[in-house]
Amino acid sequence: MPASLIPAPDATALPGPPWLFHTLWLVTFLLHLLFVNTVLGGSLLAVFAGGAGAGRLALRKLLVGMNSWAISGAITLGIAPLLFMQVLLGRFFYAATILWAWPWFAMLGVLTVGYYLNYLAKRCMKEGREPLGVLVVEAACFVCIAVVQVVIHLLHMQPERWRAAAGSGWQVLADPTFVPRVLHFVLAALGVTAAIVALWAVRWSGEPEDVRGGMARFGVRVALGAAALQVVDGLWLLLAVPREVLRAFMRGGAATMVPLTLGILLALGLVALLALVRDPLARPRLVRHALELTVAAVAVMVLTRHQLRGLYLAAARAGEQVAVQPQWGVFALFLVTFLVCVGLTIWALIRAATDRPGAGEPVA
Amino acid sequence: MDYPIWDLALGGGVLIGIVAIAHVLVSHFAVGGGLAIALAETLAVRRGDRALRDLAKRSSWMLVLVSTVFGAISGVGIWVTIGLVAPAATSALIHTWVWAWATEWAFFVLEVAMALAMVATWEKVRPRTHLWLSWLYAFAAFMSLVIIQGILAFMLTPGRWIETRSFWDGFFNPSYLPGVVLRTGISLFLAGAYMTFAALREPDAAARARLVRWLAGLQVVGALVAYGGYRWWEVALPDQVRALFVGEKALLASLASTRSLALWALTAYLGLVLLAALVPRAQRWPVAAVALCASFVFFGGYERLREGSRKPFVIRDHMFSNGLMVTDIPTLNESGALARAGWAAVGQPDTLEGRGRAVFRAQCASCHTLDGYLGIRRLTTQADADMLNGILMTMKGMGEVYATAHARGERVDTTTVDYPLMPPLVGSDEEVEALATYLHSLKPAQPTEVADAR
Repeated sequence: MPASLIPAPDATALPGPPWLFHTLWLVTFLLHLLFVNTVLGGSLLAVFAGGAGAGRLALRKLLVGMNSWAISGAITLGIAPLLFMQVLLGRFFYAATILWAWPWFAMLGVLTVGYYLNYLAKRCMKEGREPLGVLVVEAACFVCIAVVQVVIHLLHMQPERWRAAAGSGWQVLADPTFVPRVLHFVLAALGVTAAIVALWAVRWSGEPEDVRGGMARFGVRVALGAAALQVVDGLWLLLAVPREVLRAFMRGGAATMVPLTLGILLALGLVALLALVRDPLARPRLVRHALELTVAAVAVMVLTRHQLRGLYLAAARAGEQVAVQPQWGVFALFLVTFLVCVGLTIWALIRAATDRPGAGEPVA
Repeated sequence: MDYPIWDLALGGGVLIGIVAIAHVLVSHFAVGGGLAIALAETLAVRRGDRALRDLAKRSSWMLVLVSTVFGAISGVGIWVTIGLVAPAATSALIHTWVWAWATEWAFFVLEVAMALAMVATWEKVRPRTHLWLSWLYAFAAFMSLVIIQGILAFMLTPGRWIETRSFWDGFFNPSYLPGVVLRTGISLFLAGAYMTFAALREPDAAARARLVRWLAGLQVVGALVAYGGYRWWEVALPDQVRALFVGEKALLASLASTRSLALWALTAYLGLVLLAALVPRAQRWPVAAVALCASFVFFGGYERLREGSRKPFVIRDHMFSNGLMVTDIPTLNESGALARAGWAAVGQPDTLEGRGRAVFRAQCASCHTLDGYLGIRRLTTQADADMLNGILMTMKGMGEVYATAHARGERVDTTTVDYPLMPPLVGSDEEVEALATYLHSLKPAQPTEVADAR
């Protein structure tokens, strides 16, 4: 019997250098995560929209409408990082998902329910009905998915837990980093969405001023609370990371310490900036900067998370020999296709957003 | 073989089949629906046909609610499911086709964005702008079919890729183009079949009849293209694959029956849509539902043939359905299968029977359950210990046939081996004996044995 339960690396050569896959993985994961944050944060904030006072209905309408696009975006943009991750770490990922097979598989059903509930909520609101119950279940669906994702993340980078997980997959919930990771996920989602809500209210919303004010203040308050709690939770998470991983991280020099420090500074800066915004409608630039800082913090945290994963897996991947046979021609085809498709998407969306027929002109 | 095992009573293959068929029925509508909606909208704008325009609008809503929601999730669902059930095969496919998948993803981004924009901009933009959105959607959806077909066809007919390992040899494999034609036809007729329900909601009887006739024409074209593509696909298959389900002496009776059923279903479907084209005013939703079911039977039948005729491989001539690679047979015969399959032995006692169960989990459990789908207890109940040993040693001997052919750079004609639908058994003689012992232990106790025990 083999001494290790870690599957052997795939015999097929990598069709490109590892750095290329790491880069594509990180970039596409960041895009995916921004949409995921909007979906999770949007579904939660829609439940608690009562906090927006006069902006309650407009806020719900905005979040539900936004989610009908964002859920699609999150799923679509989730495909690419999943693909590139499997090229590099498939053997760890598959093992983790099989050990938590039923929840992982059930996630598909939960996602489908959550997505359709969002359309149901949209329809209820169109008909003037209150969709709170629907929104609560929808939010619960997305929180469940977040928990499953955290568990798979924890399992795939800790092969030493696999044997115990084979007995009971639930024991991974006892991991000291589980709770802070889930909190980190939820707080980031709330922070990103709240910042988007605030900016929407101060910049683009055509609602009356009291409605816009209610939405904007709610957005700023939630974003501030999420950012402040994130600082505390981030420290908790860092201290809960296994000692040898933390030590390796701290000894990683500028490569690991610069992004971490930057992430902490961005979070603190965000707290300070949001604390200054007493009247968001009067300070639209600050609100815009708050969203920019939030996105920057998420980007830096994606990098730190990636580095931590590498350190978690360092022992398991020691001595890993992977052949590389780049398929540059096919990669170039992908790149050109990607750029053309993104270009066409942007062009078509701009055209759709700006083309408005004049009076008497035919409409589609 | 060296991954954890998800024990499923209904069998992993069945689960993959359920998710995959649910997905393709929707995803092909996404492709055909895109073309049909763009065509309908174009004609509506040119002719000023309000009813045709309303059909396009209603169908676009159906497209978003069914395809971009359920289709997108079930598409990811196939990945999730094959990763759980056949991780080694998934890994091999991802490593080989990552750039093809990434390219398909780029089209998918365009497709989803255009679908949402198309639905959101009815009555808000000029017709020309909306036509751009519709045609961009149709183009992106069709391109995703063109790419994915390369990977699907590769698994059944990898062609020269086995020797060259060239991306393009694998992509443009022998059954690629027939499959593209077949799937294009299926997409068109599925779109017509789904959209007929939207057409039947048209309140004006004359306009409704016109729409039904137009959609019936689309379905006739789709069905004929699909039939041509199917026949071409059969011709493109290697003789040994075709022998499984074509001809009077087909090796696999269940697949041969599936083929018959699928072709009869297509005939019935064609009859129903011709009827709708000739007497469109008589079209009602129960008839449309029967036609839709018939189209599902043809499509589902084809998918079953494609999946079933891959046996005993998951990637023909390269990887068997249990994740065993042809190249690994000699090594595993020497080292023992359990030297690789650590997970199969987790929780098993270190007895002959326990090791046998581990060998079963490593090599057989990807297709056979204990008492459920392809239940091994039922299949081996008639065999005594000697017979089981004999069968297993024969299966091990098949491994030598595959390994020798591989060493010579040849491919095995699977119809000539003793168990043409089964992967060879690999491992040490002790492991084979252990497996025989385990399988024998599954037999229910005979009445005489119970009496003896008393």
